[in-house]
Amino acid sequence: MENVWKKFRADLTRPLFMDQVQRLGRSIASSGEREYRWVLKDVSLEVEPGGSLALIGINGSGKTTLLKVLSQVTYQTAGTCIVQGRIGALLSVTAGLHPDLTGRENVYLYGAVLGMGRENIRKRFDEIIEFADVADAIDRQIKFFSLGMQMRLGFSIAAYLEPAVLLVDEVLAVGDASFQQKCLRRIGEIVRQGTTLLYVSHDLASVEASCEKAVWLSDAMVRASGPTKDVVTMYRTAVEKNATLLTSKEGVVQVLKADIYAVDGGQLRSECEVEVALTMDSPQQAEASYFIGISQGPAFPMFVVSHNAQMPAGEFEIRCQLGYLPLPKGHYSLWVAITGYPRGRSDPYLEWQPLVSFDAFGPDRLDPPEGVMVLSPIYVGAKWKIS
Amino acid sequence: MVEPSSAAPSFGERLQVNELASIPDEPSDEILYHHKVRLVESAKLLWGHREIIYTLAERDFRVQYKQATLGILWAVLSPLATLAIFVAVFARVKAFPHSGIPYALYAFVGILCWSFFASCVGAGGSSLLSNKALLAKTQFPRECFPLETMLVNALNTVLSWIPLAILFVIFGRAPAITTVWVPLFIVIEVMFAAGLMLTMSSVIIQMRDLQQVLPILLSLGIFMTPVIWPFTYIPDHFHVVGSFYVNLQVVYGFFNPLGPVIANIRATMLLGQNPTWAPLIAAIVGSICSLAFGFRIFKRLEVNFADIA
Repeated sequence: MENVWKKFRADLTRPLFMDQVQRLGRSIASSGEREYRWVLKDVSLEVEPGGSLALIGINGSGKTTLLKVLSQVTYQTAGTCIVQGRIGALLSVTAGLHPDLTGRENVYLYGAVLGMGRENIRKRFDEIIEFADVADAIDRQIKFFSLGMQMRLGFSIAAYLEPAVLLVDEVLAVGDASFQQKCLRRIGEIVRQGTTLLYVSHDLASVEASCEKAVWLSDAMVRASGPTKDVVTMYRTAVEKNATLLTSKEGVVQVLKADIYAVDGGQLRSECEVEVALTMDSPQQAEASYFIGISQGPAFPMFVVSHNAQMPAGEFEIRCQLGYLPLPKGHYSLWVAITGYPRGRSDPYLEWQPLVSFDAFGPDRLDPPEGVMVLSPIYVGAKWKIS
Repeated sequence: MVEPSSAAPSFGERLQVNELASIPDEPSDEILYHHKVRLVESAKLLWGHREIIYTLAERDFRVQYKQATLGILWAVLSPLATLAIFVAVFARVKAFPHSGIPYALYAFVGILCWSFFASCVGAGGSSLLSNKALLAKTQFPRECFPLETMLVNALNTVLSWIPLAILFVIFGRAPAITTVWVPLFIVIEVMFAAGLMLTMSSVIIQMRDLQQVLPILLSLGIFMTPVIWPFTYIPDHFHVVGSFYVNLQVVYGFFNPLGPVIANIRATMLLGQNPTWAPLIAAIVGSICSLAFGFRIFKRLEVNFADIA
């Protein structure tokens, strides 16, 4: 065990990468003045052999560039980057596929391009085809494949690459749910076989499912690093703050007061009964639908409750009791919207927006089995008996 | 090998939040990355990736004739068509002596040499651009792309030896015994073409204008090279001043190794003469220089390839 630790050590210290494109463009356009932008600034990270690390962050935060530097597709401007062992970089699932070649020819082509020997491909060929589920189309030119099929084929080849370090960049986005699940399972398998994984995705659920540690890149810099769950929670909260800025927009209905509290008057705890109390001011009477939701993350609610009722003119109060708060410990936001009824017939009276944020106390969320995505980070109290 | 220290927690064990403001705007000079160019190691690495070159070449070769009804036959037909044009146009022009060899044979040897060179430099020059998608996403040595293009062209050229053989049969001739020298000439041409295509491809990706200029240069090049005119038009005893003479063939051979190559292939294969060594040695030196220069400039510039592709 100890030997494995020593044998392989991926260590990336301070790689800085400067966008040469712009620089070149500018240096031709204006004389000598060199402008550039940093895509990675003072980023340090390391993954022990066999470990798995996720990179999260908004678009343009430098995740893909980091992977490219690691795989030596591009070179850093400064700093050092040490990777031991063969790298398999899956930066794009379809980049190596040639539309005019058949599926079979493409397997050999892409496999070789990714660094798999021909002999090796021949051995794994049947497995790859089976995994991609394209057996009956394998001798067709892949320009006649559907995008999903091309993607499945691309991923499958990479899935049997067996490198020492696997870099995966946001490649599962196109597949259907069952294929995504299959891919995650395969990634889990690869990690268990001792491959080191670096995983980039916007899909926080799949990040949580496949990586033990995570790094949050923000504006080319490492904002936070640590166990996946902690980093992801922090990231969710930050993205939500951003979303608040984007969505706070005046509707016709004014919000005077908003509150959420436990019915028994104590702290907001997992599984307790809670009430949401809202005081609004409406200029007109209307048929309306009321929506209340709770989110932890990127403005997507974990659940929503709704109700249709007449909205009175003037000041009015909405009270909504939730019999059971399905939240683990954490920081959450309460979102509210009021729309016309039936839906979509008029502009919303109150745009979907976060009104208050609150902390819930209680147990941590329980982890799913490895390689399984959980869509909503909710908590359901359960009593177990194993006999 | 660094032993993971037990004192400090290893990376990622605890949640660690960075103060972004504390990160400097610029890296300090001592950590700036310098791309090291080690020719021998690069060559070794390239050799290790030869399978990728084969595979990419196979891809291009297959794609080339896919969905064409005549398929691979085109590899034979297109040089024949070029030959037909040459014969139709130049065979009547008696200005170019061709030492009693049938003009078709004489011209075809030149055409083969030239078209291999021109297609290598032309296609190889833009090979990095045409493989953009791979260039930005995969990590094998970048030289694979131009070299792969060269391999495809070599294959096409080998296929054009079939019509060459047919021509020999038609004119009732056989290649002379001195043909054994031909492989040496081919090596010279390959080195020269490889050097030029490495140079071109690495420069073109940064200066796309050259992509437009290159075909023009190549079509000019066919007249600057002894394809339709004999190499002996260049004086080997050029009178400079007094009793000082310069062998211009040697000078020419250094800058354009194709000249001596074509002349010597004709002389050995068709006439059974021995190689003319003076220009040939200049050509060898010239092509080695071309290759070394091309490889070096390619490795120098490759740092930026993925960023600007």
